[in-house]
Amino acid sequence: MRVQDREPLSRSLLSALIILLVAAAVPHFFHLHLWITLFFLASVALRVASMVRPELLPGKLLLFLLAVAGLVNVTLNYPVLFSGETAIALMTSMVGLKLLEINTRRDLFIVVFIGYFLLATQFLFNQDMWMVGYVILLTAALTGVLLENSRHRPSGNPIKTYWKSLALLLQALPVMLVLFVFFPRLSGPIWSLDSPDISGITGLGDSITMGSISGLVLSPAVAFRVEFSGPKPAPPKRYWRGPILWDTDGRNWTRGKPLTNEPLVMKPNSPVIDYFITLEPSGRRWVMVLDLPKAVPEQAKVLGDFQVIRQKPIYDRIRYQASSWLFYNTGKITPEELKRGLQLPGNITQRMRHLVEEWKSVAANDLDVVNQALRHFRNEEFYYTLRPPLLSSNPVDQFMFESRRGFCEHFATSFTLLMRLAGIPSRVVTGYQGGEYNPLGDHLVVRQSDAHAWSEVWLPEAGWVRVDPTAAVAPERIERSFEFDTGLADGLLGAPIRFGNVHLGMVGNMLKQLRWGVDAVNASWHRWVLGYTEERQSRLMHMLGLDFLQGRRLGLAMVVFAAITVLLLGVAIWYKGRNRIDAVYADYLRFCSKLKHRGITRRDTEGPLDYLKRICRQRPDIKHGATQITQLYIKLRYSHSSGKNDQRSFHSMVRRFRP
Amino acid sequence: MTTTECDNVIDSTQLDMKDILDRILLTAGDIILGKEQVLRLAITCVLARGHLLIEDLPGVGKTTLAHLLARLLGMQYQRIQFTSDLLPADIIGVSIYDRGQEAFHFHPGPIFSQLVLADEINRATPKAQSALLEAMEERQVTVEGETRKLPQPFFVIATQNPSYQIGTFPLPESQLDRFLMRVQIGYPDTASERRLLAGKERREMLESITPCMDMQQLVSIQNMVDEVFVSDALLDYCQALLEFSRTSPRFHHGLSPRAGLALLRNARAWALLEGRDKVLPEDIQSVLTATVGHRLHSTSDTGVNEGDQLAQHLLESVPIP
Repeated sequence: MRVQDREPLSRSLLSALIILLVAAAVPHFFHLHLWITLFFLASVALRVASMVRPELLPGKLLLFLLAVAGLVNVTLNYPVLFSGETAIALMTSMVGLKLLEINTRRDLFIVVFIGYFLLATQFLFNQDMWMVGYVILLTAALTGVLLENSRHRPSGNPIKTYWKSLALLLQALPVMLVLFVFFPRLSGPIWSLDSPDISGITGLGDSITMGSISGLVLSPAVAFRVEFSGPKPAPPKRYWRGPILWDTDGRNWTRGKPLTNEPLVMKPNSPVIDYFITLEPSGRRWVMVLDLPKAVPEQAKVLGDFQVIRQKPIYDRIRYQASSWLFYNTGKITPEELKRGLQLPGNITQRMRHLVEEWKSVAANDLDVVNQALRHFRNEEFYYTLRPPLLSSNPVDQFMFESRRGFCEHFATSFTLLMRLAGIPSRVVTGYQGGEYNPLGDHLVVRQSDAHAWSEVWLPEAGWVRVDPTAAVAPERIERSFEFDTGLADGLLGAPIRFGNVHLGMVGNMLKQLRWGVDAVNASWHRWVLGYTEERQSRLMHMLGLDFLQGRRLGLAMVVFAAITVLLLGVAIWYKGRNRIDAVYADYLRFCSKLKHRGITRRDTEGPLDYLKRICRQRPDIKHGATQITQLYIKLRYSHSSGKNDQRSFHSMVRRFRP
Repeated sequence: MTTTECDNVIDSTQLDMKDILDRILLTAGDIILGKEQVLRLAITCVLARGHLLIEDLPGVGKTTLAHLLARLLGMQYQRIQFTSDLLPADIIGVSIYDRGQEAFHFHPGPIFSQLVLADEINRATPKAQSALLEAMEERQVTVEGETRKLPQPFFVIATQNPSYQIGTFPLPESQLDRFLMRVQIGYPDTASERRLLAGKERREMLESITPCMDMQQLVSIQNMVDEVFVSDALLDYCQALLEFSRTSPRFHHGLSPRAGLALLRNARAWALLEGRDKVLPEDIQSVLTATVGHRLHSTSDTGVNEGDQLAQHLLESVPIP
């Protein structure tokens, strides 16, 4: 240990370190238990207080007890030991305590490295661009602390130090790029082994209960982004198909057993829409596609009711290509579909039967019945609202005849039920509708707030046809998306929803532009950085003609490459250093090593004349040559005449020297 | 003046100078027996225009060495015997009222001399010591508001008993630092001691010595010391030594830049004494102990000779780059 390492830490460095460590830990606060956060903050507060009053600094015993307390705190709040979350909680607690222990410059090194690690763990929870920027800034700052700490005297210019450490980090950029491109990607959700925030994701479920979706619509989180290869479908045609719900008990709608039939489309008579979708992790198996899917990604398949699902739940952001028809005819109905499409729950009331009978009496065919129903929704006093009143045990009846306030799922489920009552096979489709076009990124952003539910009825001439009763009540819902700027959240119970105003004003437009810009950058980040998966890596390897480098072999190749690089760097540094100690000295060292083989070893504290004396004493026979060489060496190295000729003759003298 | 010419100048006077220096060493070797290394160091110090501190037990020849140097160099010299009741005025001089002229008249003290022998300097009180040491540093004294220059050249050769002896006031570090060199004489070896015992009285021998050089020659030799070449490689070595003393935990504090300058200065003079026009690492090594021994303290205070041990440690630890 060097003397300086034991020097006490300067106050300003300590303050900087504390601030940076807290900043490094702050993002964890959002998912750690409150008690862990409080423990950490209390430790920090104690450290800060002890800067003013040093007697507050706990001794060894107290520190030990605090550590035990921290451990207990963690075990109480995290019953599962060996999980990522527990480890982070433990680390955060102990980092706080470690602050109480630092006194010398050496301690600072340790804490800075812990800080680096703490920052790295942020990526377990969040790999956003913002987080990366935050981590880079803090890493540079921590490096700055290291720089400052290794100075004899403080530079007194933190900004300069910070730039210097940024420059240092910049030098690591090529290494970072190489590692990013070539380091073997691990397939599978290694980061998400215990991804805690998947469960917190709001999104579509695989069942709906009337009144359960109203929270969802308020979430502006991105569900997925779409880039169209060709023309974009018009807003009213942007139905993104998700789970199809068949079974109901009158209140809940669920998917039930999967259908056994193959998906079948007759006479597709519309152009095909091609697009790429970047889907955010949902923790579910289904994949969003535009209604109605034609071609789906490789790892997914289309079920009989045109729902697209994957083998495994989606814990990572995925990107896939798909294509869809906007107009289609699914043709005949299978007996299974017919049976399940007409199932009725037990809570059908007389009022409902009457209503349906009324429709049927004036209708010539099934299509007319559907139109009658839609007309009913449009003409009667139905309102679209995000804050529907609570419904009791028979929600459909209550909704249809009493409250008449609801949103897509109320309309879709009620409509579907009434169609079944009229003998028309029907089902509820959930998914998303609409999406905001981002002109900067040239993509469509579909948010959780765009979640939607609609119906499909089977008509003999057309097959399964999409019917959206919500559109009959509130056509704006289909044509525009929600504007979160318009105070959506504080709408009163049952108040009709206001849709986005077209005229936003200059500030509003600028904000919108800004949001689009951010979204576009984010999309690129997801696509190019986070989306660089094992699959893409192997594709790149293929393009580079390095097909044989896959998985483990790629890892091995990386190790070999790194080893060779380090070796070459070492050789380069050695070579450069060799040139710097001048050639004369190098030759003299050669002279010494020749004598060493003859048993006359020069001590490295021995001057050339002393050495010569020893040589002459031990080997009088080589006195002449050794004296000549030594004299020339002294002349070349210690006096001010140093001719090139002398150097050359010195070199050859040493080479010819044979002790 | 080109480099070649410069070389020639040194070369032509070198013979002359070498002759003088050899003679000095020879004569001195007759008086102080078997102590060539110490004599060389002492002369080196004089050539480097530094003050010399001779530290050893009573009776090993400190005073004799001081006398010898004074006589050999042909300087006008004064001796001050430091005692515990010595006053600064005894060194510097006093103003005495002259009744005839009705004015104060300054009577210069023994310090107004080219060579001052300060015998047993650590027997005097710090007040008297500092009077001398101030004069050494400034090469002038201020008496009653009037600054008086000391003669040129001005040397102090001080002797002192080891500080663990009774009745001593050890010199503080800051004052020790003013001596360019500190040498220790030590006991003579058996053969030399026999010659000493069998030979004549040293004091008589001293009387018969004739100066080997005059003031002019001394000054020109001193100027030649400045001309001795120091290469980059040697500066590297010098800096490595300084750096090591500053970072190694054995040293209580590192060597000061002044110590570094002193080291180079002595090494130059030593090289000249060896008849070289450039400094070699050996020159540094030869003068290192004498130059830094009294400036170093170890972290574990072991007392006796610790400075010299540290200097030795420095020598053995720092490789020649």
